[in-house]
Parts: sequence; structure tokens; C-alpha cells
Amino acid sequence: MTTSVTNNRLRGLLSFWPIVTLLALVCSVFLLLVPVWNIVSLSFAGKEGGAGVFENYVMFFSEPYYYRSLINSFIVSISATVLALVIGIPAAYIVSRYNIWARSLIKTAVVLTFVSPPFIGSYSWVILLGRKGVLTQFFAEWGISLPSIYGAPGIIFVFTLQYFPFVFLLVSSGLKSIDQSVEDAARNLGSGEARTFFTVIAPLLLPSITTGALLVFIAAFTDLGTPIILGEKFRVLPVLIYGEFVNDFGGAPVLASTLAVLLLIVTTGALLLQRWLARRYAYATAAIRPLVMQSPRPVKRIAASLFIYGLILLALLPMVNIIISAFLKSNGPVLVAEFTFDNFDKVWRLAGGPLKNTLVFTTIATLMCAVMGTMIAYIIARRPGKISALLDTAVMFSYAVPGIVLGVGLVVTYHNPPLALTGTPLILILAYFIRRLPFSVRSSVSALQQLSKDTEEASINLGAGPGMTFLKITVPLLSMAILSGALLTWSNTIRELSATLVLQSGRTTTMSVEIFNEVANGNFGTASALGMTLIVLTFLPLVLLFTFMGKSEEALV
Amino acid sequence: MTKSVSIEQITKKFDSSVAVNNVSIEIGQGEFFTLLGSSGCGKTTLLRMVAGFLQQSSGHIRFDRKIIDTVPAHERNTGMVFQNYAIFPHLTVAENVAYGLKVRKQAKGDIDREVRKMLELVRLDHLAHRLPRELSGGQQQRVVLARALAIRPDVLLMDEPLSNLDTEMRLHLRSEIRAIQQQFGVTTIYVTHDQEEALLISDRVAVMSMGNVEQIARPGDIYLNPQTLFVASFIGDNNLIPVEIEALAADGTASARLPSGERTEARAATGQQLTQGTKATLSLRPQDIDLAPAGTGGLQGKLTELQFLGGTIKAFFDLGTGKPVTVSLQGRHGTQIPVIGETRSLIPLPGATTLYAGEVKA
Repeated sequence: MTTSVTNNRLRGLLSFWPIVTLLALVCSVFLLLVPVWNIVSLSFAGKEGGAGVFENYVMFFSEPYYYRSLINSFIVSISATVLALVIGIPAAYIVSRYNIWARSLIKTAVVLTFVSPPFIGSYSWVILLGRKGVLTQFFAEWGISLPSIYGAPGIIFVFTLQYFPFVFLLVSSGLKSIDQSVEDAARNLGSGEARTFFTVIAPLLLPSITTGALLVFIAAFTDLGTPIILGEKFRVLPVLIYGEFVNDFGGAPVLASTLAVLLLIVTTGALLLQRWLARRYAYATAAIRPLVMQSPRPVKRIAASLFIYGLILLALLPMVNIIISAFLKSNGPVLVAEFTFDNFDKVWRLAGGPLKNTLVFTTIATLMCAVMGTMIAYIIARRPGKISALLDTAVMFSYAVPGIVLGVGLVVTYHNPPLALTGTPLILILAYFIRRLPFSVRSSVSALQQLSKDTEEASINLGAGPGMTFLKITVPLLSMAILSGALLTWSNTIRELSATLVLQSGRTTTMSVEIFNEVANGNFGTASALGMTLIVLTFLPLVLLFTFMGKSEEALV
Repeated sequence: MTKSVSIEQITKKFDSSVAVNNVSIEIGQGEFFTLLGSSGCGKTTLLRMVAGFLQQSSGHIRFDRKIIDTVPAHERNTGMVFQNYAIFPHLTVAENVAYGLKVRKQAKGDIDREVRKMLELVRLDHLAHRLPRELSGGQQQRVVLARALAIRPDVLLMDEPLSNLDTEMRLHLRSEIRAIQQQFGVTTIYVTHDQEEALLISDRVAVMSMGNVEQIARPGDIYLNPQTLFVASFIGDNNLIPVEIEALAADGTASARLPSGERTEARAATGQQLTQGTKATLSLRPQDIDLAPAGTGGLQGKLTELQFLGGTIKAFFDLGTGKPVTVSLQGRHGTQIPVIGETRSLIPLPGATTLYAGEVKA
């Protein structure tokens, strides 16, 4: 009797889900917690600023060169967040509520801006508004001097255009869950449209708005490419981390780690704030009859249309510019108005190297995310308990770790034997995997919550073990969610820059790094050709997602 | 071969609340056994422990005397039918039925034969290659029944299988389930909150309340001889009148005093211990009362309300007991219908009044 109980216990531990749980925990410990722990301890123990435990931090907060970067980061991120809200909320409201022309095209355009790699957008603005920029010179001939794209204003401008889609998409989907009766009730009680918006609609949208705002903030705060390209003497924290990391190359990146910890503190804090706000302002609303489309008065309609079309034009301009300049002859950073295919020569030359690397790394990481993400989602959704909650927290923590921080952490952890992984393809794949894991997990968790547990229990009841039930019942039923999660992962991973910059070696370089180098070397024509290739690769899976799987744009956020 | 089920002193606690409290039930081979109770009484929790989806906090479950406490759910060989069908939406009807057989690695030819046989049994052979979404709720539930029976389960478990269906389909499938169960002779545990369903379909019924089993008996006994006050109030229409026990005779009859001061003689229900001078409850079903002219014995009541329902007429009499007492009259030609405000004598059928210790909760 006793032995049989023990055997059953043992068998229970060696069965499918406990093994998967263990594997998932090992992944998050070795790819996330250990690297983060290592940079934290390096920031305290490393001897750079002096001998004391807090010396590195004391130095950071006493040297203007360092602490200015933190202030700068806050300045650009907060400004971009506020502007993204100011633009994104009305844009979403107009496109969702007013019957203006080409609404679905507008949504597609927003998605296009959203998924295009941010650093490509930035250098495209340099081509347009740089010192020798196309638009700068054009307007100069008319005696108008345009504001500079460099420094804080330029960064804020590009961040706003790049990240307002977060707000747009979240608010659009938030509007979908508001019932028309709510608006009718407010109007019936005598409140006008604007008053109704501010007193009824906006409060119900608060969860979407706060989530959007914090996503913009985090994205802007951790972006590395844009401030490197546009910042010049205006340095933000990620740029400083990258600079210190490159300086320390070979030695222990003590200062880079210290800065990375500060960056991590801000992003973690923002994420915790977001989760708290989301819970605090969550109203359980279900739209039986969603908000209806309105036909505003002509004046209002024209004003709304002008705002939207102007915004979309501005947001798409860098991309149009990339496509045009990809086919223009260039003399270093100066583009000549002459058609050519020469720029694409480089694409073919990179086909066997960076392009192949990009595709291979992205694909493997995406597959790993799909498999592991679905299993972790199952554990979180179906096997609640202490370990499951721990796993949930660990996965969500990886959401808070910026690419550059993860990159530095992985280098610190896996630079020396026995696990000398730096410079190998594996470390890039693992970095992509752990960074994108939360997205796969989240998409499968929400699909699982829609799926009745009974179906799986029926399978167990008919004699299929947990593993077999997962494979034959759960996975087929989740297949659409898994596939759409994978497509999103793929298109998000393929343009990764900040972790890649830190982790790549010559052998394992990717398209995004190549583009970055071409920009740094001033080869704008080639950069555009490469950039266009990357944008196409990013957008392809999304075309699949929207046209064949009937997903809406809101699936992106 | 179908098996007997022993539930021995099973308790299930969730955190601090007790969902099932020390329940013991013996279910014979081939028996159709029903767990009846309102939501939250612990009936589904008990069923899920038999299926192996929940682990009991204490006690044992045996199939044919063999303890199965640590056998995982997928090795218990119980066929389960769920309230919301739990059909596999991505598999055809035939694949749904074949699922458990494939898991058991049976030969393809045997599986095909068995699936055809099962689908004929539930009269769905013409829909074998359809996907579930093309089927009605009743058809889906028959697929799930065929799927559960195909594995030749030791025990068939049914968790409110009819409650998501419309009335007509419910009545239809109810008799079909009973017929198929008889044909297979499979031990069946059936969970429902519908007492009519329970009384009609079962060999025996366990009435559950707040995690406890109140009474286990054949359907007729449950209705005619409720052994606890809960069962007396839960099953069927009943008049429960607060009384005080004035005297107890040696043969078990008691003299009970009503709030109005009237007295009546009644027996204690089976298993009930009455004490002289304590509060008790008198149970008297509406159809067990005859009406007679006022002052001709029995209890005096004034008619306050009449509900004409066709076959039956419900007459509500005020006996000064707080709640009116219902008398059910047959809607036959010649039935004398009393007039509101009239006083009549309410005369219980001999032996129809029973007493329970304690008071009914308001």
C-alpha cells in the first residue's frame, strides 16, 4: 500500500507537466534571472568608481555626464508619451467613430508605421530633415529654415510618430468594448459630444490609455537606435550603456552594468505601475451593441479628415522615403536624383550572411517561443499554484528587461567557459527567445481562458494522459492562437537591434546591425535598400495574419 | 465488465470550506445512481473525485473493492458525459467516438466496427463524418454519450448532461439515456439538480445538501418517506408546519400542538428522535389533505387564496401558522370548490402526517 502510493507520487513527479514546468523554470533562471543577477552584482562589486559598494552609483549621480543621460531619457520619454496620447487618442476616436474616407487603409498605415524598425525611421528623417536633407534644402531655397532633426526635439518627434500606434491601437480596441447604450444614456441626460467623451467615454478607456501610455514610455525609454542616430551630443541612458559596453570590451562591463540596472529599475517600475493601474481602473464592460459610426457635420468631418490624413502622411513619409532612396544613386550621405538598382547589390551580397542569419535566428527563436510559450501558458492557465505563479512572474519580468540590459547580462554571464556562448548564433537565438516569450505566453493564455476545461478533461477521462491530451486536444484547438502568436513574434524579432548590437560578432551579424552600420558609415542608399528588405520581411507575416486569419490590427498590442 | 463503486467517508475541503463532508455511498454493479441537490451541495465535487479530476482530502474510493485513490484520472476507465458536452470541436463525430479507443491502441478494424455500433445505438450513424458545429445540442450530447460508452467504462459518470438542452430534447434524451444504460448494464453515477429527472431515471437517489448526504433511497421512498426535514422540504410540494411536541406515546405517536393551539396526532418520520416539550415540524403533503365542512374534526382553516391550474386546484388555508397551508384538489367534474373566506376542516389522510425534530429555516 505505502509503496504503491510512493510509486504513484514518483510517477506524478516524472510525468509530463512537472518536467515541462522544470524546463521552463530552468530557462527563465538561466536566460533571465542569472544574467540580471550578474549585472546587479557587478554594479555593486565591480571596481570602477572606487572601492565602496555603492561607488559606481555614487559616481553616476555625482558626474553630470552620467546623470544628465538619465534626465535626458526621462525628458524624451515623457514628452513622447504625452504627445503620443495627444495624437493617438483623438486619432483612434476619429477613425473608430467618424465615417471618414479610407478608414481601413488608415489602420493599415498605422500598423505599417508600428512594425517598421524605429532606427530605420530615424535615419530616414535624417535623409529628409538632416543638415543636407532633401526637405531642409528644398525649404531653404524658399528662405524657410526647418527645425533641426538632431537632439532632443528630433528624438521626441520620431518617438512620437513611431510609438503613437500603441495608443491608437489600444484605444481603438478599448472603444470596441464600450456599449452604445452608455453614450446614449449620457446624451439623453443632456451632455454634448465633447462632454460625453470626457465624462463617460474617456474614463471607460482609462485602462487602454494608461497601458498605451506606459508602453510608449517603456519603448521610448529603452530605444537605442534612434538616439544614437539622432542624439549627437544629447545622450540618453541606453546610448550611454552601449558606449560604456563598447569601451569596456574585453574587461568586465562594470559601468555598463550599473547603468543597465538603473534602466531596469525604471522599466520594471513602469511595468508594475501599468499592472497596478490596469487592475485599478478595470471596468468589466462587455459591448452587446458596440458604439456606432457617426456622420459628423461637414466642417467637423473635414477637420477630422485633415488631422488624420496629415498624421498618416507624416508617419508614412519616412517609409516612402526609404523606398524611393533605395532606388537612388548616392554619393555617400548625399542622394542623387538618378534611378539605380545598385543599392540592392549589397542585399545580394548579404544574402548568405546577415540576411541568412536574420532569417535563421528569427525562425528558430519563433519556433522555440511557440512551443515553450504554449506550454508555459498551459501551466499558468490550467495548473494554478505557487510554481505556476512564480513562472508567470518570471515570464512577465522578461517583458520588463530591455534588450540592451538583457544583452549586457548575457555577455557578463556567458562570456567565459564553461559556457562561453558570446559570439555564437545560440546566444542571439536565446536572447530573442527569452525577450519574445511573454508575447507567445500571453496570446496562448488568453486563448486558453476562452477554452472550456471540460474538453481537456473529457480527453483525460477517455484515457489519454496529460501529454497526449495536450498534443491531441489543446494544441489543435489553440492552433490559430499559436500561429498568430508566432507570426507576431517573427515580425517583432526580425527587427531587433539593441540586444543584437551587444551580442553579435562579425560572424553572427544580422540585417538590423548591417543597416545600422551602413547608416553610421553614411551609405544611405545601401541602408535604404537593406531597410526596405527588412520592412518587407517584417510586414509579410502580418499580411498573412490580417488577410488569411481575420485578425484585427489590435492583435498587435 | 462494469464495476461497483464504494465511496467511503469521503471529505473534500477547499481551503477552509468543506465541499463534501464525510460521505459514504455503496453503488452496486449496474445500478443507476443519482446525486441530487441544488448548486453548491457538493454533488459535482463528489463526481469529479470519482473521475479523478479532484483528489479527496480524506476517505477512499473503491471500484470493485479495489482502492483507486492514487490512480490518475486517465487510468480510471470512467466514461464521463459533461454538462456543456465537451465535444472535441476539431474532430468529426466518428473521430470523437473513436478517440478513447485509439488511446487504448485498439486495432483499426475493431475501432471502426465499434464506432459504427455506438453511433447506431445513439442513432447518429448518418452523421459520422460531420463536425460537431454542424450538430444540434442534443445530437452533440448523444455523440458524447456514445464516446463515453465506447471505451466500455467501468463506471459511467454524467454531470447534468441534460441541463443545457431545451425541454423537449431533455425529456426525449432522458428516456434514451435510461434505455441505453439498461441495455449496457453499466454502473452509472448521475448528477442533477432536477428532482423530477432524478426520481424518474434512477434506481436510487442520494439527496445532498451542503456537502452532506441527507438520504439515500429508491425514488418512491425519497418522496413518500423523507427521512430528514431537508428532504421533506426539498422534494416535491409540502406543507411544513411549526409545532411543539406535547406528549409522546410508547408506540411512537406524538401529540403536536400547532401555533393556533389546535392539536394533532402524528408519527415521527423514520430515524427522527422527538423530545417532549421541544419544537418540531409537521409535514403534510398538499394532496394528502381532504376538505370537510367546518367543525367536523381535523384542523380548522380559512381559505385565503385559490389557484386554478386545470388538473389541480391549489387552495391556500390560513391555520394561524404564519405560512398558509396548501391543499391540492383535483380538478374533476363535481369537485366542490370552496369560496374565499370560508372556513373548512382540513383532514389529513391516515398516516400521512409525519414529524421532524427541529424547525424549518425561514
